[in-house]
Amino acid sequence: MKVIINTLIACCLSILAPSLTSNAQTGYHSHNDIINKLDNLAASNPGTCELDVIGKSYSGKDICVLTIGTGKHNNKPGMAIIGGIDGRYPLSREIALGFAEKLLSDQGSEKYKELLNDITFYIIPDASPDASGGLFSDPAYERMVNGNITDNDRDFQNDEDPYEDLNGDGLITLMRVKDPRGDHIADPADERLMKKADLSKGETGSWFVYTEGIDNDKDDKFNEDGPGGVNFNHNFSFEYEEFGKYAGIHAVSESETRAIADFLYDHFNIYSVFSFGPQDNLGKSFKANNRPEGRGGRGSRIIRNIYKEDQLLNELLSEKYHDITAYKGSPGFAREPGNFMEWAYYHYGRYSYSTPGWWYESDNGKRDESSFMEYADNNNYNDVFAEWQEIEHPDFPGEKVEVGGLKPFKMLNPPESILESVVEKNCDFLIEAAGLHPEIELINLRAEKTGKDIARITVNIHNKGVFATSCKHGERSKWNKKIRIEIRSDSDFTLISGKKIYFIDRIPGDGSEEYSWLISGKGNFTISAGAAHTNNATISFNIK
Amino acid sequence: MQKIISLILAIPVLMISLMAYGQEDERFFKAAGTPANPKVEVSWNKYYTYQGIDDICNKLANAYPDLVKLESAGKSYEGRDILVLTVSNFNNEEPDNKPGYYIDGNIHSNEIQGTEMALYAAWYLAEMYADNDFIRELLDDKVFYIIPTINPDAREDFMHEANTASSPRSGMVPRDDDRDGLVDEDGFDDINNDGIISMMRRKNPFGNYRSDPENPGNMVRVEGDTNGEYEILGYEGVDNDGDGSVNEDRQGYYDPNRDWGYNWQPDYVQRGADKYPFSFPENEAVRDFSLGHMNIAGAQSYHNSGGMILRGPTVEGGGSEVYSREDETVINTIGKLGEKIIPGYRFLTIWKDMYSVYGGELDWWYGALGAYVYSNELWTSYLMFNDTENRDRYEFNKLLLFKDALIPWKEYDHPVYGKIEIGGFDKNFGRLHPGFLLESDAHRNTAFCIYHAYQTPKLEIRDIKVKKLNNSLRQVTASIANTRLMPTHSGQNLKYNIDPPDYISIKGGEVVAGMTVLDEDNNVCEEQTKNPGRIEVENIPGHSTVKVRWIIKGGKEYTVSVESVKGGRASKKSSE
Repeated sequence: MKVIINTLIACCLSILAPSLTSNAQTGYHSHNDIINKLDNLAASNPGTCELDVIGKSYSGKDICVLTIGTGKHNNKPGMAIIGGIDGRYPLSREIALGFAEKLLSDQGSEKYKELLNDITFYIIPDASPDASGGLFSDPAYERMVNGNITDNDRDFQNDEDPYEDLNGDGLITLMRVKDPRGDHIADPADERLMKKADLSKGETGSWFVYTEGIDNDKDDKFNEDGPGGVNFNHNFSFEYEEFGKYAGIHAVSESETRAIADFLYDHFNIYSVFSFGPQDNLGKSFKANNRPEGRGGRGSRIIRNIYKEDQLLNELLSEKYHDITAYKGSPGFAREPGNFMEWAYYHYGRYSYSTPGWWYESDNGKRDESSFMEYADNNNYNDVFAEWQEIEHPDFPGEKVEVGGLKPFKMLNPPESILESVVEKNCDFLIEAAGLHPEIELINLRAEKTGKDIARITVNIHNKGVFATSCKHGERSKWNKKIRIEIRSDSDFTLISGKKIYFIDRIPGDGSEEYSWLISGKGNFTISAGAAHTNNATISFNIK
Repeated sequence: MQKIISLILAIPVLMISLMAYGQEDERFFKAAGTPANPKVEVSWNKYYTYQGIDDICNKLANAYPDLVKLESAGKSYEGRDILVLTVSNFNNEEPDNKPGYYIDGNIHSNEIQGTEMALYAAWYLAEMYADNDFIRELLDDKVFYIIPTINPDAREDFMHEANTASSPRSGMVPRDDDRDGLVDEDGFDDINNDGIISMMRRKNPFGNYRSDPENPGNMVRVEGDTNGEYEILGYEGVDNDGDGSVNEDRQGYYDPNRDWGYNWQPDYVQRGADKYPFSFPENEAVRDFSLGHMNIAGAQSYHNSGGMILRGPTVEGGGSEVYSREDETVINTIGKLGEKIIPGYRFLTIWKDMYSVYGGELDWWYGALGAYVYSNELWTSYLMFNDTENRDRYEFNKLLLFKDALIPWKEYDHPVYGKIEIGGFDKNFGRLHPGFLLESDAHRNTAFCIYHAYQTPKLEIRDIKVKKLNNSLRQVTASIANTRLMPTHSGQNLKYNIDPPDYISIKGGEVVAGMTVLDEDNNVCEEQTKNPGRIEVENIPGHSTVKVRWIIKGGKEYTVSVESVKGGRASKKSSE
């Protein structure tokens, strides 16, 4: 009986859910909406599209990948596009979804046909669905963690102090408590905002500021251990912080991070990863260092800076990103330990690019709350601020407590009115980047008779793409295959000089290498070149 | 019906065993320190296959149901059980509430004797319990968790398939070592079909090697202007995939001891690492077991070889696991004693005395779980002649093994190299103990583990003083002692709040206030206002006492108890 009741309640909740989101940004799609859209795309494009579930979130939501391309998907260079790595960035999911729709809607054009023929797109719109749910939960809040029940504050209780929506507006914002001991004041740059009092400027605080909620476990901390526990974008192995906040029990410990890592590692054909979230190297390119190890201590083997060879392409892509989006500057790089985008370069060994996909333009160059408020005011971006509202708070009986502040998601994501154009620009950029893919060819075949029955065959392997076949750092990854060059014949032959099989680590954009063989024998010959992450090139000839 | 039959069968077996132990066996005279007539007979001069391990584990669990329990911690890649023996007195405290000690072996699949050493510990503890006061007290107080092999698949491969003394080392999950898109396509080839991969040599007047006249068969490099007789062609093999390299993609390869979730780094930094920490089911099983047994305060992970007692940190400078001063004292005191217990073994710090290792099992035990851990590198050539100077394997093989460990060079036809000769040491020699030295070294290493386990915390409520404050209130002061070397919380444990604090509770009256006594003489106390009936103490250091105090309303007789994850439990009643 109990089971039936639970099911009934669950059904009611799912019916009610949309109405609960009235306060959230409505142009954005929920996890279920995204899955439905992917389902439809896959169903209506059976020849080019495949939808797979590659794992489950801790709470049991599907992690899906939509694979797009003509022909055999795993035999061509692959480009991965990942959204939802941080639940605070719903835009990232819209871009990934929008890109899939764009690729499939414009299939008629020569340009798209060629792209779908040359490379394979792996689109994962929602990498951490539990965290993404924060936008649609009641109350809505900037959730970063999956459903894993953990002890975030290491007080040996799990999930015991969540947020509470004290003013009933469906959102988690801030609360301020009037107290002469407080360390905050109203921000002189914008009186609606609170800032820490700066004693060196003669400012003395008069408010305490906390996130909205009750101190459920009476430890004088507010909302420090809410539902769930591990941040997808803190759980990867590059610069992973042991015992870090929301970091998990160890690197790549969660079902979400494992699903994505396994999927990527198992797809040796992927050469580049584009993700959308707090890390940015498209607004501003990474810079190489003379010593990639940086200052990692004596004899450090750990690479923490990109290679020079990889900087060139990063700069090019950054330039293109600015050209296409007309964005200025960069939103800054969020230094987060264990983040996905750096992992994709430093550990997975692939070209890795990331950006929030949108950032507000600040006149004074600052990126703080008051400059955002100014931007919002100037652009009629309304509904970004919850006015301070006095409430009764059980932890502060008889004291003046107000709830208000910037609304969640507003500062990190564009308003609904420009969402479509923001998605469009990012998709245009992805198309442009895809066009730079590596493509190898065997050219310049020369055959010389060097004596009786002996021929010298020389050929060049050339990468006509702008991307190298793999990033420079990828040369060192055991998860990158080598390019195999092999000479074969349908009749017997002897190699007087040269190896039957050669392996090359990498061919730079527009780069080439020369191979030659001294052959004794006659017949039809084929030279082939390729690897999991490149196309296959062959060239044939006949020795008489 | 089946049940009845097995019952009938069981009765005579029981009777026989009761008879056997009901009286002195006339055939034996006890040697000091060893069970003279064990219930489970095991020869400690040979190595056991998975079947043999399973057999010994089952026999121990059946012979000692009150002391030994056999479970599976999970499945290996090929589906074998990861066998765990729990050894403790099951009739006093719940074993998982006692301070725990963990032993495993064989993480590197060719380093097989860790398994026998681990099994020996289980056997020795169970067989000695009845007759030895020290062991009885140890199993009353502590619990041992022993996993004889945490790499059973590749152990089987080492024993049953053609291998060198150093292969597979890896586990059996296929990997593309040479990044050519094929997995495990060019392994060793047992050209002489003897189950051992040994060396290939070819006669060559311009070669760099000749046979040593003193020890024929030993290939020595020629020096100066003399000519050699042979060239060395490496381990037995052919270029199976025609890429010009020989034996470049054999079974595995990855290193299961670079797969642990603390200080992990990828393959380009730490060769042998895989995708991420715990990429393999065997290590995942041990991870889950360890997280379910946070009472484990000390651990040993056996390797071979070289005769070393290794301690962390494993990463240069210590990384995020710098040992506190207190931890240094604990780890050095026990480690130095180990050098005395196991002659020929040196006590070394991994990153300082060897090299940095990322993502090793030691990092997990100390870094993630806060347990004091060592890794013993079993077997040292010192043991051949008990001599630091003479470490001549050929002489040892001749004088003590009667040449049993050497495969004489013999001629074979190689498909590419033509006439070659194959020979050299057997895979069971060089890194593994010869049979007659195995039991003795197993005992010494077990003794080291026993001493290490003995030093896990032992908590006692020393005295409970009750003082009348007025008609209704009493002051109860209790001292809780830790009588062993290890604290209840290592420095790492304290730094990252790995375990909850130790809880000291009182029953027998209404608690009005509770506090920790910082200085009894000068009456300095620190009150705990939240939940005063259960005082939280962050740590009870080794060989020291903490004092707590309550103000109690009512009651006459008070029971004070202490509860610590790694320190065990104790309680005591006040005497009126």
